[in-house]
Amino acid sequence: MNNKERYQRSFSGVRTSRDYGKGVYEMGDTQRKRARLPRLAAVCLALGLVFGAAGAVYAADVGGIQRQIEIWFRGELTDVTIEFNGQGEYRMEFQDAEGVTHSQGGGGVAYEAFGRERPLTEEELLETLNSPDVRYEDDGRVRVYYYDQVMDITELFEDGVCYVKLIHDGEELYMTVKYRDGYAASSRHYVDPGTFSTKKRPAE
Amino acid sequence: MMRLTTTETVEKYKDTLFRIAFHICRCEADADDAVQECFCKYHTVRMEYESEEHLKAWLIRVTINFARNIATSFWRRNRESWEEYMAEMPFEEPGDSDVFEAVMTLPARYRLVIHLFYYEEYSVKEIAEILETPVNTVKSRLSRGRKLLKKKLKEEWQDEQ
Repeated sequence: MNNKERYQRSFSGVRTSRDYGKGVYEMGDTQRKRARLPRLAAVCLALGLVFGAAGAVYAADVGGIQRQIEIWFRGELTDVTIEFNGQGEYRMEFQDAEGVTHSQGGGGVAYEAFGRERPLTEEELLETLNSPDVRYEDDGRVRVYYYDQVMDITELFEDGVCYVKLIHDGEELYMTVKYRDGYAASSRHYVDPGTFSTKKRPAE
Repeated sequence: MMRLTTTETVEKYKDTLFRIAFHICRCEADADDAVQECFCKYHTVRMEYESEEHLKAWLIRVTINFARNIATSFWRRNRESWEEYMAEMPFEEPGDSDVFEAVMTLPARYRLVIHLFYYEEYSVKEIAEILETPVNTVKSRLSRGRKLLKKKLKEEWQDEQ
Protein backbone atom coordinates (compact mmCIF):
# COMPACT_ATOMS: atom_id res chain seq x y z
CA MET A 1 0.00 0.00 0.00
CA ASN A 2 1.49 3.34 -1.02
CA ASN A 3 1.32 6.61 0.92
CA LYS A 4 -1.66 7.89 -1.06
CA GLU A 5 -3.74 4.78 -0.38
CA ARG A 6 -2.68 4.81 3.26
CA TYR A 7 -3.62 8.46 3.62
CA GLN A 8 -7.00 7.96 1.96
CA ARG A 9 -7.84 5.00 4.18
CA SER A 10 -6.84 6.97 7.29
CA PHE A 11 -9.10 9.90 6.44
CA SER A 12 -12.00 8.09 4.80
CA GLY A 13 -13.80 8.06 8.16
CA VAL A 14 -13.78 11.88 8.36
CA ARG A 15 -17.36 12.58 7.40
CA THR A 16 -19.87 15.17 8.39
CA SER A 17 -22.89 14.21 10.44
CA ARG A 18 -24.67 17.51 9.96
CA ASP A 19 -27.74 17.86 7.74
CA TYR A 20 -26.79 20.99 5.80
CA GLY A 21 -29.91 21.16 3.66
CA LYS A 22 -32.27 22.98 6.01
CA GLY A 23 -29.68 25.39 7.32
CA VAL A 24 -28.47 26.21 3.84
CA TYR A 25 -31.92 27.17 2.58
CA GLU A 26 -32.73 29.20 5.69
CA MET A 27 -29.42 31.01 5.82
CA GLY A 28 -29.17 31.42 2.10
CA ASP A 29 -32.64 32.78 1.62
CA THR A 30 -32.45 35.30 4.42
CA GLN A 31 -28.92 36.34 3.49
CA ARG A 32 -28.00 36.29 7.12
CA LYS A 33 -24.53 37.42 7.74
CA ARG A 34 -22.11 36.69 10.53
CA ALA A 35 -21.81 39.55 12.97
CA ARG A 36 -18.44 41.18 12.77
CA LEU A 37 -16.46 43.28 15.11
CA PRO A 38 -16.51 46.92 14.00
CA ARG A 39 -13.10 47.70 12.61
CA LEU A 40 -11.28 50.38 14.51
CA ALA A 41 -11.53 53.67 12.73
CA ALA A 42 -7.84 54.10 13.15
CA VAL A 43 -5.47 51.84 14.92
CA CYS A 44 -1.95 53.04 15.31
CA LEU A 45 0.31 50.16 16.01
CA ALA A 46 3.57 50.41 17.75
CA LEU A 47 4.65 46.87 17.11
CA GLY A 48 7.71 46.02 19.10
CA LEU A 49 8.69 42.99 17.09
CA VAL A 50 11.39 41.03 18.77
CA PHE A 51 12.40 37.82 17.13
CA GLY A 52 14.23 35.49 19.40
CA ALA A 53 17.14 33.37 18.39
CA ALA A 54 16.50 29.83 17.28
CA GLY A 55 14.91 27.86 20.04
CA ALA A 56 14.21 30.91 22.16
CA VAL A 57 11.20 30.47 24.35
CA TYR A 58 9.67 33.27 26.32
CA ALA A 59 9.54 32.47 29.97
CA ALA A 60 7.98 35.58 31.43
CA ASP A 61 4.80 34.60 33.21
CA VAL A 62 2.73 37.72 33.16
CA GLY A 63 -0.31 35.99 34.54
CA GLY A 64 -2.33 36.68 31.43
CA ILE A 65 -4.69 34.56 29.38
CA GLN A 66 -3.06 32.07 27.06
CA ARG A 67 -4.75 30.97 23.85
CA GLN A 68 -3.97 28.61 20.98
CA ILE A 69 -5.00 30.21 17.71
CA GLU A 70 -4.10 30.42 14.05
CA ILE A 71 -3.05 33.72 12.55
CA TRP A 72 -1.74 34.95 9.23
CA PHE A 73 1.95 35.53 9.71
CA ARG A 74 3.96 36.84 6.77
CA GLY A 75 1.55 35.35 4.30
CA GLU A 76 1.32 31.97 6.03
CA LEU A 77 -1.45 30.55 8.20
CA THR A 78 0.43 29.75 11.38
CA ASP A 79 -0.43 28.04 14.69
CA VAL A 80 0.56 30.23 17.64
CA THR A 81 0.32 30.26 21.41
CA ILE A 82 -0.47 33.78 22.51
CA GLU A 83 -0.60 35.43 25.93
CA PHE A 84 -1.95 38.86 26.87
CA ASN A 85 -0.87 40.97 29.83
CA GLY A 86 -4.08 42.96 30.12
CA GLN A 87 -2.27 46.21 29.31
CA GLY A 88 -2.59 46.19 25.55
CA GLU A 89 0.37 43.93 24.96
CA TYR A 90 0.85 40.34 23.92
CA ARG A 91 3.56 37.79 23.54
CA MET A 92 3.28 34.82 21.26
CA GLU A 93 5.24 31.77 20.32
CA PHE A 94 5.21 29.76 17.13
CA GLN A 95 7.26 27.46 14.94
CA ASP A 96 8.47 28.49 11.52
CA ALA A 97 8.63 26.29 8.45
CA GLU A 98 11.86 24.72 9.66
CA GLY A 99 10.36 23.84 13.00
CA VAL A 100 12.36 26.55 14.79
CA THR A 101 10.53 28.16 17.71
CA HIS A 102 10.25 31.95 17.71
CA SER A 103 8.77 34.34 20.21
CA GLN A 104 7.36 37.73 19.37
CA GLY A 105 5.76 40.50 21.35
CA GLY A 106 3.86 43.63 20.54
CA GLY A 107 1.07 45.91 21.51
CA GLY A 108 -0.87 48.92 20.46
CA VAL A 109 -3.18 51.73 21.33
CA ALA A 110 -6.46 52.99 19.95
CA TYR A 111 -7.48 56.60 19.72
CA GLU A 112 -11.00 57.25 20.87
CA ALA A 113 -13.15 60.36 20.57
CA PHE A 114 -11.37 63.60 21.50
CA GLY A 115 -8.02 61.91 20.95
CA ARG A 116 -8.05 59.91 24.14
CA GLU A 117 -5.54 57.07 23.94
CA ARG A 118 -6.14 53.63 25.45
CA PRO A 119 -4.48 50.21 25.26
CA LEU A 120 -6.02 47.75 22.81
CA THR A 121 -8.22 45.04 24.29
CA GLU A 122 -7.44 41.36 23.69
CA GLU A 123 -10.08 41.18 20.97
CA GLU A 124 -8.59 44.21 19.25
CA LEU A 125 -5.06 42.85 19.56
CA LEU A 126 -6.14 39.64 17.86
CA GLU A 127 -7.84 41.68 15.15
CA THR A 128 -4.58 43.55 14.64
CA LEU A 129 -2.64 40.29 14.27
CA ASN A 130 -4.65 39.67 11.13
CA SER A 131 -4.30 43.32 10.19
CA PRO A 132 -1.61 44.37 7.76
CA ASP A 133 1.94 44.16 9.03
CA VAL A 134 4.77 46.35 7.76
CA ARG A 135 8.21 44.77 7.75
CA TYR A 136 11.53 46.51 7.17
CA GLU A 137 13.51 43.61 5.74
CA ASP A 138 17.26 43.02 6.00
CA ASP A 139 17.60 43.55 2.24
CA GLY A 140 16.31 47.12 2.64
CA ARG A 141 12.90 46.41 1.15
CA VAL A 142 9.70 47.42 2.92
CA ARG A 143 6.88 44.94 2.60
CA VAL A 144 3.27 44.85 3.71
CA TYR A 145 1.86 41.45 4.71
CA TYR A 146 -1.91 41.11 4.73
CA TYR A 147 -3.53 37.68 5.08
CA ASP A 148 -1.92 35.66 2.27
CA GLN A 149 -0.81 38.75 0.34
CA VAL A 150 2.65 40.31 0.21
CA MET A 151 3.25 43.78 -1.26
CA ASP A 152 6.59 45.52 -1.77
CA ILE A 153 6.03 49.22 -1.00
CA THR A 154 9.68 50.32 -0.95
CA GLU A 155 9.34 52.58 -3.97
CA LEU A 156 5.99 54.03 -2.99
CA PHE A 157 7.14 56.38 -0.22
CA GLU A 158 6.96 60.12 -0.86
CA ASP A 159 8.31 62.39 1.87
CA GLY A 160 8.39 59.38 4.18
CA VAL A 161 4.72 58.53 3.73
CA CYS A 162 3.09 55.81 1.65
CA TYR A 163 -0.61 55.16 0.98
CA VAL A 164 -1.75 51.62 0.23
CA LYS A 165 -5.20 50.27 -0.55
CA LEU A 166 -5.65 46.63 0.46
CA ILE A 167 -8.52 44.31 -0.37
CA HIS A 168 -9.39 41.07 1.39
CA ASP A 169 -12.61 39.11 1.02
CA GLY A 170 -14.14 42.05 -0.87
CA GLU A 171 -13.44 44.49 1.95
CA GLU A 172 -11.20 47.47 1.39
CA LEU A 173 -8.67 48.79 3.86
CA TYR A 174 -6.88 52.11 3.47
CA MET A 175 -3.42 52.18 4.97
CA THR A 176 -1.12 55.08 5.71
CA VAL A 177 2.50 54.02 6.36
CA LYS A 178 5.10 56.41 7.78
CA TYR A 179 8.64 55.20 7.12
CA ARG A 180 9.86 53.56 10.31
CA ASP A 181 7.22 55.49 12.23
CA GLY A 182 4.20 53.19 12.42
CA TYR A 183 1.11 52.95 10.31
CA ALA A 184 -2.62 53.49 10.55
CA ALA A 185 -5.40 51.65 8.78
CA SER A 186 -9.03 52.48 8.28
CA SER A 187 -11.88 50.84 6.40
CA ARG A 188 -13.17 54.28 5.33
CA HIS A 189 -10.32 56.60 4.44
CA TYR A 190 -6.58 57.19 4.56
CA VAL A 191 -5.64 58.38 8.04
CA ASP A 192 -3.84 61.72 8.15
CA PRO A 193 -0.13 60.89 8.77
CA GLY A 194 0.13 63.93 11.05
CA THR A 195 -2.21 62.30 13.56
CA PHE A 196 -0.04 59.35 14.57
CA SER A 197 3.54 58.51 15.37
CA THR A 198 5.40 55.79 17.21
CA LYS A 199 8.24 58.16 18.06
CA LYS A 200 8.34 59.85 21.43
CA ARG A 201 7.03 63.36 21.35
CA PRO A 202 9.32 66.09 22.75
CA ALA A 203 8.35 67.28 26.22
CA GLU A 204 6.10 70.32 26.11
CA MET B 1 -21.83 25.72 -18.73
CA MET B 2 -23.42 23.72 -15.92
CA ARG B 3 -24.96 24.02 -12.52
CA LEU B 4 -26.21 21.41 -10.05
CA THR B 5 -29.12 22.01 -7.70
CA THR B 6 -28.14 22.90 -4.16
CA THR B 7 -29.41 19.55 -2.90
CA GLU B 8 -27.33 17.65 -5.46
CA THR B 9 -24.27 19.73 -4.62
CA VAL B 10 -24.66 19.19 -0.87
CA GLU B 11 -25.03 15.44 -1.28
CA LYS B 12 -22.13 15.15 -3.67
CA TYR B 13 -19.55 17.35 -1.99
CA LYS B 14 -20.40 17.61 1.71
CA ASP B 15 -17.83 15.06 2.88
CA THR B 16 -15.09 16.31 0.56
CA LEU B 17 -15.55 19.87 1.80
CA PHE B 18 -15.89 18.78 5.41
CA ARG B 19 -12.55 16.94 5.27
CA ILE B 20 -10.87 20.00 3.82
CA ALA B 21 -12.40 22.34 6.41
CA PHE B 22 -11.44 19.90 9.16
CA HIS B 23 -7.81 20.06 8.06
CA ILE B 24 -7.90 23.82 8.59
CA CYS B 25 -10.09 24.12 11.71
CA ARG B 26 -9.26 20.79 13.37
CA CYS B 27 -12.69 20.96 14.97
CA GLU B 28 -15.86 19.19 13.79
CA ALA B 29 -18.33 21.98 14.57
CA ASP B 30 -16.16 24.69 13.02
CA ALA B 31 -15.61 22.58 9.91
CA ASP B 32 -19.37 22.04 9.64
CA ASP B 33 -19.95 25.81 9.97
CA ALA B 34 -17.46 26.52 7.17
CA VAL B 35 -19.07 23.97 4.85
CA GLN B 36 -22.54 25.27 5.63
CA GLU B 37 -21.43 28.82 4.80
CA CYS B 38 -20.03 27.55 1.53
CA PHE B 39 -23.28 25.84 0.55
CA CYS B 40 -25.20 29.00 1.52
CA LYS B 41 -23.00 30.97 -0.81
CA TYR B 42 -23.54 28.43 -3.57
CA HIS B 43 -27.29 28.64 -3.01
CA THR B 44 -27.38 32.43 -3.15
CA VAL B 45 -24.74 33.16 -5.80
CA ARG B 46 -26.32 32.09 -9.08
CA MET B 47 -23.12 31.41 -10.89
CA GLU B 48 -22.61 29.11 -13.90
CA TYR B 49 -19.64 26.72 -13.96
CA GLU B 50 -17.60 25.60 -16.92
CA SER B 51 -17.46 21.99 -15.74
CA GLU B 52 -17.90 19.87 -12.68
CA GLU B 53 -14.19 20.21 -11.94
CA HIS B 54 -14.61 23.98 -12.02
CA LEU B 55 -17.55 23.72 -9.61
CA LYS B 56 -15.58 21.48 -7.25
CA ALA B 57 -12.57 23.82 -7.29
CA TRP B 58 -14.87 26.79 -6.56
CA LEU B 59 -16.52 24.98 -3.64
CA ILE B 60 -13.12 24.01 -2.22
CA ARG B 61 -11.78 27.57 -2.51
CA VAL B 62 -14.84 29.07 -0.83
CA THR B 63 -14.77 26.47 1.95
CA ILE B 64 -11.08 27.15 2.56
CA ASN B 65 -11.77 30.89 2.89
CA PHE B 66 -14.63 30.36 5.33
CA ALA B 67 -12.66 27.79 7.32
CA ARG B 68 -9.66 30.12 7.58
CA ASN B 69 -11.90 32.96 8.75
CA ILE B 70 -13.37 30.73 11.44
CA ALA B 71 -9.98 29.32 12.45
CA THR B 72 -8.56 32.81 12.94
CA SER B 73 -11.60 34.30 14.63
CA PHE B 74 -11.44 35.49 18.21
CA TRP B 75 -15.09 34.53 18.52
CA ARG B 76 -14.40 30.92 17.66
CA ARG B 77 -16.99 29.24 19.83
CA ASN B 78 -16.20 25.61 19.36
CA ARG B 79 -13.30 24.33 21.33
CA GLU B 80 -13.50 20.56 21.09
CA SER B 81 -10.18 19.18 19.94
CA TRP B 82 -9.22 17.00 17.04
CA GLU B 83 -8.07 14.43 19.61
CA GLU B 84 -11.66 14.09 20.84
CA TYR B 85 -12.86 13.70 17.26
CA MET B 86 -10.15 11.14 16.58
CA ALA B 87 -11.16 9.09 19.62
CA GLU B 88 -14.61 8.57 18.04
CA MET B 89 -13.35 7.84 14.54
CA PRO B 90 -13.78 4.38 13.04
CA PHE B 91 -10.28 3.59 11.74
CA GLU B 92 -10.02 0.56 9.46
CA GLU B 93 -6.56 -0.41 10.69
CA PRO B 94 -4.93 0.50 14.04
CA GLY B 95 -1.99 2.26 12.34
CA ASP B 96 -4.33 4.62 10.47
CA SER B 97 -4.81 6.69 13.61
CA ASP B 98 -1.04 7.33 13.57
CA VAL B 99 -1.33 8.88 10.11
CA PHE B 100 -4.32 10.95 11.23
CA GLU B 101 -2.47 12.18 14.30
CA ALA B 102 0.71 12.92 12.37
CA VAL B 103 -1.20 15.04 9.85
CA MET B 104 -3.19 16.89 12.50
CA THR B 105 0.01 17.86 14.30
CA LEU B 106 1.61 19.28 11.16
CA PRO B 107 1.83 23.09 11.01
CA ALA B 108 -1.26 24.61 9.37
CA ARG B 109 0.62 25.62 6.23
CA TYR B 110 1.35 21.99 5.33
CA ARG B 111 -1.87 20.20 6.34
CA LEU B 112 -4.03 21.50 3.54
CA VAL B 113 -1.50 20.98 0.75
CA ILE B 114 -0.84 17.44 1.99
CA HIS B 115 -4.56 16.67 2.05
CA LEU B 116 -5.30 18.07 -1.41
CA PHE B 117 -2.41 16.06 -2.82
CA TYR B 118 -2.90 12.72 -1.07
CA TYR B 119 -6.65 12.56 -0.61
CA GLU B 120 -8.11 14.65 -3.42
CA GLU B 121 -5.28 13.64 -5.76
CA TYR B 122 -4.77 17.11 -7.14
CA SER B 123 -1.49 17.88 -8.90
CA VAL B 124 0.86 20.55 -7.57
CA LYS B 125 -0.28 22.89 -10.36
CA GLU B 126 -3.95 22.35 -9.55
CA ILE B 127 -3.31 22.92 -5.83
CA ALA B 128 -1.51 26.15 -6.69
CA GLU B 129 -4.54 27.31 -8.68
CA ILE B 130 -7.02 26.39 -5.95
CA LEU B 131 -4.97 28.09 -3.24
CA GLU B 132 -3.96 30.96 -5.53
CA THR B 133 -0.38 30.33 -4.43
CA PRO B 134 2.79 30.06 -6.56
CA VAL B 135 3.61 26.53 -7.75
CA ASN B 136 7.02 26.63 -6.08
CA THR B 137 5.44 27.47 -2.73
CA VAL B 138 3.12 24.47 -3.04
CA LYS B 139 6.07 22.24 -4.02
CA SER B 140 8.06 23.42 -1.04
CA ARG B 141 5.15 22.93 1.39
CA LEU B 142 4.47 19.46 0.02
CA SER B 143 8.12 18.51 0.31
CA ARG B 144 8.48 19.84 3.87
CA GLY B 145 5.15 18.31 4.90
CA ARG B 146 6.29 14.92 3.60
CA LYS B 147 9.57 15.18 5.45
CA LEU B 148 7.75 15.96 8.68
CA LEU B 149 5.36 13.04 8.12
CA LYS B 150 8.32 10.74 7.49
CA LYS B 151 9.96 12.00 10.68
CA LYS B 152 6.80 11.35 12.70
CA LEU B 153 5.71 8.08 11.08
CA LYS B 154 9.14 6.61 10.31
CA GLU B 155 8.74 3.24 8.54
CA GLU B 156 4.97 3.67 8.38
CA TRP B 157 5.49 6.34 5.69
CA GLN B 158 7.34 5.51 2.49
CA ASP B 159 10.17 7.66 1.13
CA GLU B 160 9.12 9.79 -1.82
CA GLN B 161 10.85 12.16 -4.20
